[in-house]
Amino acid sequence: MHALDFDYMLGLVPILLGYLPLTLEMAAAGMACALVLACLLAVIRVTRVPGLNAFALLFISFFRGTPLLVQLFLFYYGLPQVLTFLVAINGITATILGLTLHFSAYMAESIRAAIVGIDRSQTEAALSIGMTRAQLMRRIVLPQATRIATPTLMNYFIDMIKSTSLAFTLGVTELMGATQKEAAGSFLYFEAFLVVAVIYWIVVEALSWVQKWLEQRLNRAYQR
Amino acid sequence: MSKRLISTSSVRRTTLAVALGLATSLGAMAAQADTLRVGMSGGYYPFTYVEQDQLKGFEVDLMNAIGDITGDDVEFVTASFSGLAGMLDSDRIDTIANQITITPERQSKYLFSQPYVYDGAQVVTRKGNDAIHGVEDLKGKTVAVNLGSNYEQLLNELPYADEINIKTYDSNIEQDVALGRADAFVMDRVSATQVIKDKPLPLQLAGQPFSKIENAYPFRDDEAGKALRDRVNKALAELRDSGKLGDISEQWFGTDITQP
Repeated sequence: MHALDFDYMLGLVPILLGYLPLTLEMAAAGMACALVLACLLAVIRVTRVPGLNAFALLFISFFRGTPLLVQLFLFYYGLPQVLTFLVAINGITATILGLTLHFSAYMAESIRAAIVGIDRSQTEAALSIGMTRAQLMRRIVLPQATRIATPTLMNYFIDMIKSTSLAFTLGVTELMGATQKEAAGSFLYFEAFLVVAVIYWIVVEALSWVQKWLEQRLNRAYQR
Repeated sequence: MSKRLISTSSVRRTTLAVALGLATSLGAMAAQADTLRVGMSGGYYPFTYVEQDQLKGFEVDLMNAIGDITGDDVEFVTASFSGLAGMLDSDRIDTIANQITITPERQSKYLFSQPYVYDGAQVVTRKGNDAIHGVEDLKGKTVAVNLGSNYEQLLNELPYADEINIKTYDSNIEQDVALGRADAFVMDRVSATQVIKDKPLPLQLAGQPFSKIENAYPFRDDEAGKALRDRVNKALAELRDSGKLGDISEQWFGTDITQP
């Protein structure tokens, strides 16, 4: 049992914070791309577009059924052996790609659940007054589904931020990679990993506030 | 006003330095000036490690010295150790400077430079562990090694290998032995000695090194890799002849580990 080296921990904070932007950028980019892809997949699944539906099912099955780390290694190390031009993909891009594909599979299912959860009677009412299917989706179903899906989607975003810590296996020195290297140099594991844990925690806590605000906004129509 | 004076003169100085540098190094650069992408884990004290955001270590200093001679821009790429070979295979780095031991399997796949470190495999235990005095006492014990390192293979080649519980890690094997989760770890004698000397972990060397190892830089087995290997070999020989190689070793380890 050794006493905590507080000076070391304090000194580590600004160094590690320097790597936080990269971590957040990868997560934000991954989230933006994953949202678009997940909405597409969800709509395909709900409307059962022939052909595409089978593809969406296979896609979701694969990316939900394999670990993110396996997918990252597959894209970054594996694919370039088969398709050599893929060497051009760098670690950051591969991480964003991996996060996008992996999390879109999960998110598609929760968006689909939100859409399916809207009461059928609303669909019938909208169609009976002459709305097209597209109008029905855009005006009635999706705004309500957004509200329902928001908490789970924020959950995935939080998960995604933490999953960026796998990027060091692809040679990207992000928050966790920087910590591992500092810990390997100082052998002060507890101090180093405690500092990084608190940094992740504060970031996620800040996000929870954003989530609260977002949910309140989306709830406005339901408040009396 | 004074600020401007300083900046103008510093620009002039920079220009002069660049001009001078260009003039002197043109000869060396004319051969082939490239970016040499060097992979390392950044987590193998004191060969490659990070302190205050600075990448340091024997491997860093030696590779920079090689780059000075060949005229290449050395670019260090850090990744976890198990990812390094994949990065070399997929042309994302040109070589690995991470105490890579020459083995027959690796030789059939990569081109190796001349060895630049001669070392031995060392068993390390938690301080006060009197049950293990060397590799022969590892029977029935849990032994930690780095994933993808040659030490795993060394252990597997022992006649009583199936009685050893070998645990592979991506990093931090020292810590798991210090904590008592594994009975021992195996790594090269030089870094083990250095870790015990410099760092606050309760560890001790167990017996003598049990296998000789030679460390070198691996390159992809193609034309470009061969050219690069030859260039690095030439620089290594120059550093060895001038005594610079031994100096870098002395500076980090207080002893010359670059001699057979």
